[in-house]
Amino acid sequence: MVLSGNREWAWRCLPILAAALVCAPLGASDEFEKQVRPLLAAKCHICHGEKQQMGGLNLSTREGFLAGGGRGPLINAEQPAESLLLRVVHYGDGLKMPPMGKLQPAEIAALEQWVAGGAEWPAEKAARQDAPHWAFQPLRKDLPSSSIDHWLNERMAAEGVVAAGPADKLTLLRRATFDLTGLPPTPDEIEAFEADERPDAFERVIDRLLASPAYGERWGRHWLDVARYADSTGADEDHRYPHAWRYRDYVIRAFNSDKPYDRFVREQIAGDLLPPEDPAEGVNVEGIVATGFLALGPKLIAEIDKLKMFYDSVDEQIEVTSKAFLGLTLACARCHDHKFDPLSTKDYYAMASIFASTKNWGKVEGSPVVSTLYDRPLVPIAEEKAYEDALAAIEAKKGEVNAVLGKAGKRYRDARMERLAESMQAAYRIYEEGADAAETAAALGLEPEVLDRWVSYLKPTWERRPQLEAWYAAKTPEARASAAAEYQQRFLATAAERDEANAKWEAEAAAAKERGEEPPAKPKFFAGDDRFFSEVSGGKGPYALPTENRDEHLTAEAKQQLETLQAEQKQLEETAPKPPLANAVNEGKPVEQHVFLRGDPRQEGDLVPKRFPVVLAGERQTAIQDGSGRLELANWLASPDNPMTARVMVNRIWLGHFGEGIVRTPNNFGRIGEPPTHPELLDALAAELIASGWSVKSMHRRIMLSGAYRRSSVATAEQVEKDPENRLLARFPSRRLTVEEMRDGLLSLDGSLDRTLFGALSSGEGTDKEFSDARKSLHPDDTKRRTIYVSLRRSNLPTLFSLFDFGDAVTSNPQRSSTNVAPQALYMLNSDFIAERAGALATMLLADPSLDENARLRRAHLLVLNRPADAAWLDLASSYLAGYPDAPAEQAWTSLCRTLIASNDFLYIQ
Amino acid sequence: MLRRTASGFGWMGLTSLLAEQGALRATGGESPLAPKQPHFKPRAKRVIFLFMHGGPSHLDTFDPKPRLTKDHGKPLPFDRPLTFAEGQMGGLLRSPWEFKPRGQCGLPVSELFPNVAQHIDKLCVIRSMVGDSVAHGGAVLQLNTGSNTFTRPSTGSWVIYGLGTENQNLPAFLTLKPGLSHGGAKNWNSAFLPGVYQGTPVGHGGVSVDELMKNPIEHLHNTRLTAEQQRYELDMIQKMNRASLEKHRDNPQLEARIQAFELAFRMQTEAPEAFDISKESAATKKLYGMDEDVTRDFGWQCLMARRLAQRGVRFIQINHEYGPGNEVGWDAHTELIRLHTRTAAMVDKPIAGLLADLESHGLLEDTLVVWGGEFGRTPVSQGGDGRDHNPYGYTMWMAGGGVRGGMAYGATDEFGYYSEENRMHIHDLHANILYALGMDHERLTYYHSGRNFRLTDVEGRIAPELFS
Repeated sequence: MVLSGNREWAWRCLPILAAALVCAPLGASDEFEKQVRPLLAAKCHICHGEKQQMGGLNLSTREGFLAGGGRGPLINAEQPAESLLLRVVHYGDGLKMPPMGKLQPAEIAALEQWVAGGAEWPAEKAARQDAPHWAFQPLRKDLPSSSIDHWLNERMAAEGVVAAGPADKLTLLRRATFDLTGLPPTPDEIEAFEADERPDAFERVIDRLLASPAYGERWGRHWLDVARYADSTGADEDHRYPHAWRYRDYVIRAFNSDKPYDRFVREQIAGDLLPPEDPAEGVNVEGIVATGFLALGPKLIAEIDKLKMFYDSVDEQIEVTSKAFLGLTLACARCHDHKFDPLSTKDYYAMASIFASTKNWGKVEGSPVVSTLYDRPLVPIAEEKAYEDALAAIEAKKGEVNAVLGKAGKRYRDARMERLAESMQAAYRIYEEGADAAETAAALGLEPEVLDRWVSYLKPTWERRPQLEAWYAAKTPEARASAAAEYQQRFLATAAERDEANAKWEAEAAAAKERGEEPPAKPKFFAGDDRFFSEVSGGKGPYALPTENRDEHLTAEAKQQLETLQAEQKQLEETAPKPPLANAVNEGKPVEQHVFLRGDPRQEGDLVPKRFPVVLAGERQTAIQDGSGRLELANWLASPDNPMTARVMVNRIWLGHFGEGIVRTPNNFGRIGEPPTHPELLDALAAELIASGWSVKSMHRRIMLSGAYRRSSVATAEQVEKDPENRLLARFPSRRLTVEEMRDGLLSLDGSLDRTLFGALSSGEGTDKEFSDARKSLHPDDTKRRTIYVSLRRSNLPTLFSLFDFGDAVTSNPQRSSTNVAPQALYMLNSDFIAERAGALATMLLADPSLDENARLRRAHLLVLNRPADAAWLDLASSYLAGYPDAPAEQAWTSLCRTLIASNDFLYIQ
Repeated sequence: MLRRTASGFGWMGLTSLLAEQGALRATGGESPLAPKQPHFKPRAKRVIFLFMHGGPSHLDTFDPKPRLTKDHGKPLPFDRPLTFAEGQMGGLLRSPWEFKPRGQCGLPVSELFPNVAQHIDKLCVIRSMVGDSVAHGGAVLQLNTGSNTFTRPSTGSWVIYGLGTENQNLPAFLTLKPGLSHGGAKNWNSAFLPGVYQGTPVGHGGVSVDELMKNPIEHLHNTRLTAEQQRYELDMIQKMNRASLEKHRDNPQLEARIQAFELAFRMQTEAPEAFDISKESAATKKLYGMDEDVTRDFGWQCLMARRLAQRGVRFIQINHEYGPGNEVGWDAHTELIRLHTRTAAMVDKPIAGLLADLESHGLLEDTLVVWGGEFGRTPVSQGGDGRDHNPYGYTMWMAGGGVRGGMAYGATDEFGYYSEENRMHIHDLHANILYALGMDHERLTYYHSGRNFRLTDVEGRIAPELFS
């Protein structure tokens, strides 16, 4: 395993080596970046790269390439085909490169094509050491206080793009309502907004929406994507996080109460270490729950190499923390310094030290290999120990109960095993020869219920049971008698052997206890060492203490003992504190963290102090001496001086409104991320976020009141030509509804959506011994609650979620994708959910006697598409109803409603 | 830029994206699943992967070890590698099953597979498999996706990304009754490949075959409308969607969605026919063991594999799973004899039936059949009468699809613990599967997150000896 561990480390690194080659911007140089540079990297850099330059040649930079090596320039501009580069790869006369094997024909062709096209090697962006990367610079404070549109218009003017006009009122209302609440506007809201002629009508809409509890359910979901939230561990065993929902609810509440973002950050890293907002409370429940951010990651829990498992989980926390708050891929520095960003392995292990000193597991060394998750009681720290002691006392008492039952079981077995051979033969007569069970038992003086169990145990099935084969092989009464005698003899021998070993151990353990020493290990017997014995004396076997009328088989003394012990156990259980629990972290034992060479936890390098990445926090940092360092980390992340935190968050808010961020790689602000389309705007908004007391709601207002947000989405040919990716936002980018918006929106059509806030929709721990068929997420059709409350098993997301691009809830997901595939269309056409929604809408419309057909059609259109129907659609729809083949009106209406639901105008926000 | 394109693809967008990425060139049509030319002449056109979840013991099926019989009960004479159930391990455990030479080739197969043994001359038995994970979770993921830790596209997804499919009206990659544990959907997921390359599950391990026959693919059946009514409805949807497209001509997603509805409509007429086995003769059903309770379930899966292969589905995975009725499947940590006997009995006849039936339909020559689990089992006992996981050396076999039959490739040591000769790592197996399909595993790449990815990561070794 250590070997294979190493292999995994290596694995993780290699991709990054390859990735080193693609940092230049794409564009005219696409061909070079995609075909040539990776090829040079894969096949040439090992000898002609950054590390070594054999023959004086460095193929990792433009300069090196242009300079060539000892044999001169690589390219012959006059006769490209004769270029040295091509000669060597063709393996002609003379030098043959690469020496370890000729390139594939396609690779050679790529080089030829590139050389024929002029061997253009685009100028590099300034190398890492030269120009400081924009994102690591402090926020610009010298910016004029300008409107969002000022910055956008400036660039549009520079590039000669004309902005689209404003969207019409109802398009804007639909856009804003879905954006802020994930729900469609109601007919009343539509009517009110249409009638509102005041200049600040839209501003009032925004305020109304921001005040709705649905706001937290929509924007909380954005954050839950970033926090890779789910209700189970995923990976190998997919155990439940039974209390994960508390974290989800915390996030929803945080958005609804406009919790200052800096506090939100602090709480998710170290909320348990912050004083509660209400000092009267002895424990910061909300703060503890918030650390679910760290605790709820995907985890391998049955990994055999526990050290690796532990540090994989630390790694996962570093990854999500650095991406979510800093927009950095610090996890890339686990095995080597980051390839693009100035992040070293020391930076990585300095943070690893913090998380490794944090309690995140129940028991790492599990039994036999499955580790247990940590449930943190929501009590003051002083009460934690009492809680854990109580749990331990209950476990100990259970052990005593089991010891008494074990003795009783042995007694039960011993009292009967001398008649084992007789019982087997009697059972044979019953199961094979049809003898009457009761009569047989009575004739022999055997207990009928024990004989019954013998019959069910010995009766042949289609399966092979090797332990019974000798019995089945005995074909005559004599043979059976002798076989049965042998079974009995072996049974007695095994019983004696085990009893003896156990008695010996008990004596030794008692003696050891007296001497104050550790008792020796209890003798271990495997069921498979004598399967017949184990089955007969255990489980539901004939000589196992029966469970139903158990007490009848106990001695008075045992009965007494058991009663006492069980009463004590009950007492313990009743008096034990039963605090609510959270999947959260706690302070652990502080570790002295070394750099792990190549990421291998068994190869320790330098000791690293707990501190923050040097590129952001500077060389001179006060070393963290006490505790895990989480509180210090939280404070540093949430500091207004940290240049990343505010930028990364305003970019997420922007993205939530425009579908793309100002930085279009929202989880990567490093060098291979994209630079901001509007750098000043980004900094201005970041500064404003801080200045507003980190108010997210103020930022929504600011963005949504801009001209850019209110623009029409209809593009002109010129806009599409000049700015195909809409980086200038000259038009509003349309988007598909998310799976949550689609489902919640459809449930709300007829008022079916259950708007209850918060709470758990499923319960249970571990896997509850489920076989593979049962480890499922809650089926969304089984609840009418908003989609955010559907609990999710990472290994088996509901089909609806996978179909509509929910993501995988495994890694931080800053941005949903949006696909259009046939299975989605099948869902629209055939699923129960859509049929039920269309049917409910039709029923509701038909049930209203005040409506005639035309009014019903208008109503349906308004409900689903949130704008009035035009004449063309009304014509189309009434002839649709009239011409609907062979069905009652209700079905035709259901079908018509489904066409509205399946239409692009429902599924897309314009 | 790439991410953006990928996130909003329509047929056109995606096709050009793939072309940009140097993916295989489409030979016709605009669909990202249109059949594509492989890199070189393929031996096989499609794959049937018979996944034995839990890990069948190679020592009791295809890789006999006389040394275990001789030294039964003795300790393993070298340091044991890490096992799953540390602390329960005993001495060497002989195979309780007899091996006999079979077929023309004389390769030994144990009594567990009397029916498959009759096809031994078609089988290329790889006795030198190696994986990296000793626990199921990682091992199953690695067998299906190449990675035992990260979420990566499954083998089937890579195959249909590379080759498209021959039947546009059926899913290109189907997995029948897959398990939901040990990675669950990750095992047929397309990960960062576009969603169109995701496998389509048919039920899961816990669904009965009778249920499945009624409704094999979710949302495929419309039980409410006649075909005429549905076409009428679809025409209305398309009219509305085209009207919307008129207004927003710059949005390729709207066009893509119109196409998706047409494809869906065709799929729902074609797929039910594929899953309707009522026209199969009683003799055929018997061949697959569908007439007996023990073999009915897996027999149906195998019969479906042939029917889907016939209809041009590119990658078909069928799964023997954990679950009610199947107990722990192949995962015999205890009671090796009982558990392996019952599990082998469930799959032996159906698999033999599949091989015979593929052959008689002329499909075997261009269908690559791959059999195996996520690892093998230990030569030492666990808990007295079981065997633990062994990823260090185990057996898988291939048949059809240009594979050289009647041969054993590679070998484990004399105890069957480590792969010793011609090691075939799971990455190598993947490379060879792609090779059989005419694809160079080093050139089947996808650009994601700043670099090119492959099914075989940076590994993969072709073993030309496997193929004739």
